[in-house]
Amino acid sequence: MLNYLIRRVLIGSVTLLAITAIIYALIRQMPGSPITLQLSEADPSKSISEEDFQRMRAMYGLDKPVHIAYFDWLGSLLQGDLGRSISRKQPVTKLIGERLGPTLLLSVPSLLLTYLLAVPIGLFSVARSHRPEERCLSTLLYMLYSLPTYVAALLLLVLFAKKLQGTSFELPLFGMTGDEYANLTPWRKLLDIGQHMILPVTCYTYSALAFMARFIKSNMEEVIRQDYIRTARAKGVSNFGVIVVHAFRNTLIPFVTELGLTLPGLLSGSVILEQIFTWPGIGRLFFEAIGERDYPTIMGLTLMFSLMTLVFQLLADILYAFVDPRVTYH
Amino acid sequence: MTTPIGKTPPSNDVGNPAPRSRGYFAEVWRQFRRRKLSLAALGFVLTLTAVALFSPAIVGTKPIVCKYQGRLYFPAMGYFYDKWENPVFMRDKFRRIYPKNLASKDPKSWAVWPLVYQDPYRRVRENEWEGRPANPSGDQGVPSQFNLFGTNQSGVDVFAQMVHGTRVALLVGVFSTGISALIGITIGSLAGYFRGWVDVVLSRLTEVVMSVPALVLILALISIFEKTSIWHVMAVLGATGWTGIARLTRGEFLRLREMEFVIGAQAMGAGWMRIIFSHVLPNALAPVLVPVSFGIASAILVESALSFLGFGSPPPNPSWGAVLNNGRSNLQMWWLVVFPGTAIFLTVLAYNLIGEGLQEATDPRLRNNEK
Repeated sequence: MLNYLIRRVLIGSVTLLAITAIIYALIRQMPGSPITLQLSEADPSKSISEEDFQRMRAMYGLDKPVHIAYFDWLGSLLQGDLGRSISRKQPVTKLIGERLGPTLLLSVPSLLLTYLLAVPIGLFSVARSHRPEERCLSTLLYMLYSLPTYVAALLLLVLFAKKLQGTSFELPLFGMTGDEYANLTPWRKLLDIGQHMILPVTCYTYSALAFMARFIKSNMEEVIRQDYIRTARAKGVSNFGVIVVHAFRNTLIPFVTELGLTLPGLLSGSVILEQIFTWPGIGRLFFEAIGERDYPTIMGLTLMFSLMTLVFQLLADILYAFVDPRVTYH
Repeated sequence: MTTPIGKTPPSNDVGNPAPRSRGYFAEVWRQFRRRKLSLAALGFVLTLTAVALFSPAIVGTKPIVCKYQGRLYFPAMGYFYDKWENPVFMRDKFRRIYPKNLASKDPKSWAVWPLVYQDPYRRVRENEWEGRPANPSGDQGVPSQFNLFGTNQSGVDVFAQMVHGTRVALLVGVFSTGISALIGITIGSLAGYFRGWVDVVLSRLTEVVMSVPALVLILALISIFEKTSIWHVMAVLGATGWTGIARLTRGEFLRLREMEFVIGAQAMGAGWMRIIFSHVLPNALAPVLVPVSFGIASAILVESALSFLGFGSPPPNPSWGAVLNNGRSNLQMWWLVVFPGTAIFLTVLAYNLIGEGLQEATDPRLRNNEK
């Protein structure tokens, strides 16, 4: 087991090195540099003297060739320093820390909701396999699965902006807090954020829900054909008992793997949804950083995303061995 | 009747030799055909293809065929590619307004017009076409008999943008997935066939690409280009979407390379190129079509998402995602969201259904479950 772990961690670090190197090389190729973009935004007519430009480039380490700059970045990373954002004049770790909360505020409730709803739906559709009600449910889920989140988000926004504005179903459309937020009592603040969360969390949840329910159902269908299920039925176990106790417990293995694949998404958020709902989260930070050519922030986020993916993959594999005694790692 | 010794008995099945067994692909098609929903989805995609091919004939402001000064021209082809619109119209100062100019500059001319007189690139003015009012602009462009799907803020017809946007959507889906399939199949088959260190290197490469969130990689790649065209978008989507295909192909190759026919081919001295491409690949192809079909769906999705975020092909190009993006800034104009949103949804749904059908048709395990 220890051997396996060491090997995996080594391979993982090589993968991480490769990813960061590729992304670093890519973003340095983008036209425009953080300095020029920032200036032209502030005042298009103002041009910077060549001397100042060179000085600023040197300050941010942009005058060095790509490979040397990359190793500089790597060096400070090993000392636990992700660098400072060029466009926002703040440490990258602080920036990410600020944005992490809002993203988790959307992704954690949506993950919980997804699992809370997907398991009963999946089990229900196995229990009622091939009945009309199951057919309806499965078709609905399949349609939801194919509905892109940004289309759904926009349709919801149109619905709430056009039809429900002014009725008791009125919901805030954009942002995380209302205009009056600063003057509210703590309880009201919570309510305000909660109201703002409803639409984005709905969009986050429905697509994951459709996917998970189908995933559970297809796993269950495989298990339900096993001999031990037939034995249980022959011994007179009720339909409910067979499905929940005998079958579902045996589909937990792929379930664990799937969880490992979903968790990184908790932190990365969704670029598009956060953009639509102007939610101040991680995905939006990434989008803005790309636009501003803010190299340190882009690199920090890339590192975080890929690290999460690799770590959770490893965790899922290890958990696999715990859940399934047939699996051992050498 | 007796047969003299030494002669073979007359064969009595000369007329009807044993029926040739169905080929693999015929079998897959037979299974696929059983699922009515997947078949309907295939029909939908074919219809869309027809719409894309005939888009200038369905809606446009340029005649499909016209006789002008004694010669035949096909100005509508200019919608496919600028240069295909004959420069004679530029020279004679038509300024893209055909109906009036044709009549006034050559009274003997005639023309066959598209079904709907609207343009995906510009606002149609008053009386360009006899009795047609100017397109409304601002948020006034509610769907009407002149603008079936309404108009956007600058007065461009949404129906025209959507019909011409079909070309982009399908082209992106097919081309970018074609590139992904090419990369994925090559990498997967090399890794699966050679195993050993080739496999280690290629599998690691696949893992690297897989570990970067797709949109991060795509945005980083797209931003490199000074001016993004639809071809850049396709190349980027193709270059990032191959990992699933590569993994599946590798798996198939690992399984197939142990089969007798591969050993047979090796024994007969076939080279590795020949074995991979003409012996193993045809047998691995059908399962690989499944991720390809899902890949087309996701490519269409990502392309609209990119146009939606403002990262796609530049604005004058009609694209479903671009129309959606217009709708984002004014939510009261519901038609800018509902029509393109439905189009994207239905197309993605159709490709998913086709993928599902293929999956069931190629995987015998799933097929037996049908009982």
